[in-house]
Amino acid sequence: MLEPAGSNQSAQMRCVRMDKKKHCVKLSVQPSRALMDEKFIVLVQNAPPGFQMTIHSLHHSEDGHSWEAFGHYTADATGTVNVSQDHSVGGTYSGVEPMGLLWSLRPVPGSKPHLRFRKMNVQTPMEVTISVYQGHQTVFVDQVQLASVLVERWYMAPGVRRIPVTESNLTATLFLPPGPGPFPGVLDLWGGGGQLVEYRSALLASHGFASLALDYLTPKITLKTGKMVENDYFETAYKFLQQHPQVSGSRIAMMGLSFGTTMTLKMAVYSEVMKLSCAVCISGSHIQPVNATVEEIFIMFDTKSEKTRISEENEVIWHDVVLPVPTDPGMKADVGRLQCPLLLIVGEDDQNWAAPESAQDIKEMMEQAGNSHLLTLLSYANTGHLIEPPYTPHTRASRFKPVGSNELLVVLWGGETVAHSRAQEDAWRKTLAFLRENLYSRKNSAVTFTSHL
Amino acid sequence: MSRNTLRPLTVKMITSLLRVHRKLSSLNPAVGAVCGVRWSSGLNRPPLLSAAPARALMDEQIIIKGRFLPPHCPVTVCAQLHSDDGDLWQSFAHYNTNADGTVNLASDHSVGGSYLGCEPMGLFWGLEPAPGSREGLRLRKKNVETPYVVHMSLLEGHVSQREEQSVELAVATTERWYMAPGVKRKDIRQNGVVGTLFLPPGPGPFPAMLDMWGMGGGLMEYRSALLASRGYAAFSLAYFGHKDLPGPQTTINVGDAYFKSAFQFLQDHHQICANRVGIIGLSFGVYLTLRMAAHIGVKASCLICINGPVGSVLDLVDADGRCTAFEESSQKHWSFDERGYVSFRDISSPGNFNPENKLKLENISCPLMWVVGEDDMSASSIENADVMEETLKASGKAHLFTRLSYPGAGHLIEPPYSPNARLSLWSIKPVKFTIWGGYPAPHAAAQEDAWRKILDFLDTNLRGFGQS
Repeated sequence: MLEPAGSNQSAQMRCVRMDKKKHCVKLSVQPSRALMDEKFIVLVQNAPPGFQMTIHSLHHSEDGHSWEAFGHYTADATGTVNVSQDHSVGGTYSGVEPMGLLWSLRPVPGSKPHLRFRKMNVQTPMEVTISVYQGHQTVFVDQVQLASVLVERWYMAPGVRRIPVTESNLTATLFLPPGPGPFPGVLDLWGGGGQLVEYRSALLASHGFASLALDYLTPKITLKTGKMVENDYFETAYKFLQQHPQVSGSRIAMMGLSFGTTMTLKMAVYSEVMKLSCAVCISGSHIQPVNATVEEIFIMFDTKSEKTRISEENEVIWHDVVLPVPTDPGMKADVGRLQCPLLLIVGEDDQNWAAPESAQDIKEMMEQAGNSHLLTLLSYANTGHLIEPPYTPHTRASRFKPVGSNELLVVLWGGETVAHSRAQEDAWRKTLAFLRENLYSRKNSAVTFTSHL
Repeated sequence: MSRNTLRPLTVKMITSLLRVHRKLSSLNPAVGAVCGVRWSSGLNRPPLLSAAPARALMDEQIIIKGRFLPPHCPVTVCAQLHSDDGDLWQSFAHYNTNADGTVNLASDHSVGGSYLGCEPMGLFWGLEPAPGSREGLRLRKKNVETPYVVHMSLLEGHVSQREEQSVELAVATTERWYMAPGVKRKDIRQNGVVGTLFLPPGPGPFPAMLDMWGMGGGLMEYRSALLASRGYAAFSLAYFGHKDLPGPQTTINVGDAYFKSAFQFLQDHHQICANRVGIIGLSFGVYLTLRMAAHIGVKASCLICINGPVGSVLDLVDADGRCTAFEESSQKHWSFDERGYVSFRDISSPGNFNPENKLKLENISCPLMWVVGEDDMSASSIENADVMEETLKASGKAHLFTRLSYPGAGHLIEPPYSPNARLSLWSIKPVKFTIWGGYPAPHAAAQEDAWRKILDFLDTNLRGFGQS
């Protein structure tokens, strides 16, 4: 019962009349500007008690697509809905889900299929419009909102600096926290799609780590020469961090997802130059020919392998390509030689990489070698391959072009949205704690006294 | 600043060092007991300073915390920012950390610095121009589309700002915004009306406020930007000292028709509810607010008057309310202190008003909130509040009047958490400073309390429904 508030006026406040009273619904989101991994509180007030409403989120991505999510709520006796405390009874998420309006975002009806949300420009915020609609709606195209606010979600905290790095033929971006430092460093790798992906590093810097996002599959030097990088490229990146005046040279970690895990383990185990404080490996494996070049390893993950499966929806499943887990030690990074703590994060529904199987084998190898006290394994049920920082939409399958291929395929990553989103939240929190614990550990730094003494 | 890195010490050695150190610290009271340790043996994290939310609106309280510090140790929290003009403003406060190695500005007490006691936002309202700055500065944001970037730091010991020996334990950066995400800013030059309109995000239509400042002139947008961030369309109106207004910038060249047009502009706007438009004025803006409501007869839903007069000393040039120059008309009422600083207070003493300008205040028929700074040195705020209150009482409208009166607060009662200027530069030729009044802590408290009450008042009168 949407009625104008006054009479004989051209513009009426959008209010609801119920029980002879007029209610002008108030919507607020706190904080309205936050980091991507921070929670917010969405609050609707002043609605009629028992009023049915839909709370809706809308985001227009950089690549021109629209994403939406929504929850169905009923106002309580005070006319209030608090998304952090109340149940959604329908929509793109249900139950008490404080951040459901973000992680359940999905392309609006009519969108191209197989989209993936990735913010490549980390210097601007992700803008999300949060609105309230009357009733339990599922279609919003011609609807008028009762109220609407805009929320900004940032990858970079105030004061974080973004520094493109091109020296020594590196293609990388360094993110530094505010202040003089020095800060512990993180070398941050993504996977087989290549490019320079900055958002995780930007967030890490927002949490106090100097983080270097490294393009190692499509760096300028490779595009120019046609040759893939070698081990020394990673070691150069490590040395860049180590020698940086605002980075603590003895406290550097390496983090990789997917093929980035392959590289991380290669360096962590075999590099004589890199002395890592710890390593984080997400959705990847240790399976690789030892003493091979980066190119040889990359080629090994033959995307046309006969072990590739196709789903009923024509999605490519590369999960089996590295299986079975080799018994030949020459085909696996010798994790028994690791001397730094290792955090392994795997999704049990990973359809792209045999990460859980590899993790199992890593665990056994380390137990046999006697260094399994260094291993922390996080394994998440119903979680797919793309385990990323939290509160962004889950993508079960998307278009993907691996480096060196001309084909744009639809690749199945896996994961069920609710479980996957919870896993992302948990894994990110534990990743930050793991990094803090190992990069600020006392044994790596001396107790310092001031000059007052 | 040098850092001595020593190999780990045993407890015995630390104890004997402490004995030596205590002797030394009695010579140097600025240094605490065991507090020289940067990463103490009980901690595995370096000190951390946080401000949350890191990006907030100017009128939002934030929580500033230090963590992973040695317990019961002196620390200094500092803040600094650059104004739009490039001046450096800074503040600092002395705390002693808690037993758990934390300091929380929302609950702990400052024992020295820019403010004392428990003042969660003291670092912001306690900002002062850095030593060596130009004189008579007043912090006012001209560009409301960008935030103030505030650099905060946590220093060891009780030090004043940036002493050379001070050890920086942690830093944080925070942004303070006048515009919430989605608020739209529009330059308005329409039908001769000069101003800036701010619209909240969303479909609207919205209740609105017409916003006027005083005889400083120009076009000040920040209060309107904040009102829009709180859900009200808000229109900062220029009426004096603006290049886009007709005539010389030293006189008020617009009259009643101008203000009527401005109000009409809001009522006609398709995203504004025509029957929910109020007016807020500060200083001379109060007189204009009352003139609009009582004399010109606009149908305002509510009025907010801050430290202003119910009449005017300025000679009316014509029946349309255009005035002569401020300086000419008012100079005879200026008073000067021993430093030669001018107080404009007596200009607005009711006894000095030009009887031709007298308004029929009893015509006011909407709720009216009147804010008084009792240490106002620029306007006779209390006296004018009394006149207003008595007039309304005499005409049976006392129920419309709400007075907020703040001891120790000065003339410039603005949105909260920005520093008060007790005096500032008024004119460059000849160089003149004017006294506004107000003392830091009570003025800050007044701003915070008044703004909250103003927003509640607007919520009731612009959003709520007086009668069903």
